[in-house]
Amino acid sequence: MTIDRPPDAVGPAGSGDVLQLPIEARATDIALGELEIVYAFIYARVGNRADAEDLTQQVALKAIPRLRQGAPASAIRGYLFATARSVLGGFWSTRLGLSEAELHEDLALAVPQVAPSEERADTVQRILAELSDNYRRVLELRFLHGYSLKEVAAEMNSTVGAVKVMQLRALRAAAKVEVSE
Amino acid sequence: MNKPENRVDKIVSELLRGRRLKLRGGDAEEKAAITTAARLIAARQGPQRMNPAFRKHLEKALESAPAEHWLTRRAAIVAGFGVAAGAVTGGLVGRAMEPAAATPRRRGGEPVNPIRGRWVDVAALADLVDGQGKRVTAGSVGAFLFRRGDTVTAVSSICSHLPCELWWNRGNSVLDCPCHPASFTADGKSTDPTYPLPALNVVHVRVTDTGRVEVLGTA
Repeated sequence: MTIDRPPDAVGPAGSGDVLQLPIEARATDIALGELEIVYAFIYARVGNRADAEDLTQQVALKAIPRLRQGAPASAIRGYLFATARSVLGGFWSTRLGLSEAELHEDLALAVPQVAPSEERADTVQRILAELSDNYRRVLELRFLHGYSLKEVAAEMNSTVGAVKVMQLRALRAAAKVEVSE
Repeated sequence: MNKPENRVDKIVSELLRGRRLKLRGGDAEEKAAITTAARLIAARQGPQRMNPAFRKHLEKALESAPAEHWLTRRAAIVAGFGVAAGAVTGGLVGRAMEPAAATPRRRGGEPVNPIRGRWVDVAALADLVDGQGKRVTAGSVGAFLFRRGDTVTAVSSICSHLPCELWWNRGNSVLDCPCHPASFTADGKSTDPTYPLPALNVVHVRVTDTGRVEVLGTA
């Protein structure tokens, strides 16, 4: 006699039976590991935790259908980063009113092959190296060392007003530096 | 305060204090300066890992999402979301997760009237628990039924913003969207006044003399 059973039913583990692990649990573990990398990738671009968490969650929720298929980590990563680029594009578009044409950098990024820390340090150094001494100095003090405007002004024998202007010009110049990642 | 150097410094100062990025106008170069500032600030902070509480939250979200919450374009259109469904082809929903501020507000709550609709038997009244949502399908129309005494109401099972299948959150007694932070009450209204989503579409439902619940669906 044949007993019909739903295809997803798992019977008691007896001799000859194969005990199947729930595929969702395994996929969730893989996904969380990959989402750590996505989080670092996004954080490196938005610079604050609240936005990075919101965007990472958006990526995770968009990617659920793929994650559920139990794909290997490499395939999941490619999909997650494609989704992350789309989500980041939407973020900049909404927050700053930037069009996708202006977002060439974030949208054209390939899946990172190196750890986020190496990628970031290397990229920042390459950007700073392209700037004039004054611009590099003001960005290093303000952003890498966390100086206040007043402290930067004291360090550079300048005024707070002049440092503010220099900070904006230095950031504009840094934005124009082409770096390949 | 309207000078660009002041606007940018205000944003930079807030970012350095760990706050969110905020828009304060400005030209393209100014915007590029802000995105660069965000990258430099991130570089200063070093490699970031998810906060354990956030990781846990994410894990829960991944595990609690229903297995089938993505619809075909056709199913989304049948449920009354033709515009939003345009973004679904290819498996990726459109970029914006939040309704654009400039988009005119739609009140929502329109009834689902299939052109060749027919009443489909979906459940017995006795099987519905007061105040608890029950997911049913009537052909291509997906709905959540809610019973109050002998009365049954129904709302579309598709979110009014992104065309994703909602799920019944028994703990909070709301319908949650798995695709973005949005919830709806049993009568289809968005629960968050700061997140102005249109109400869910209303689905026609009736109870027969024999105690069966029927939904106006498709063949």
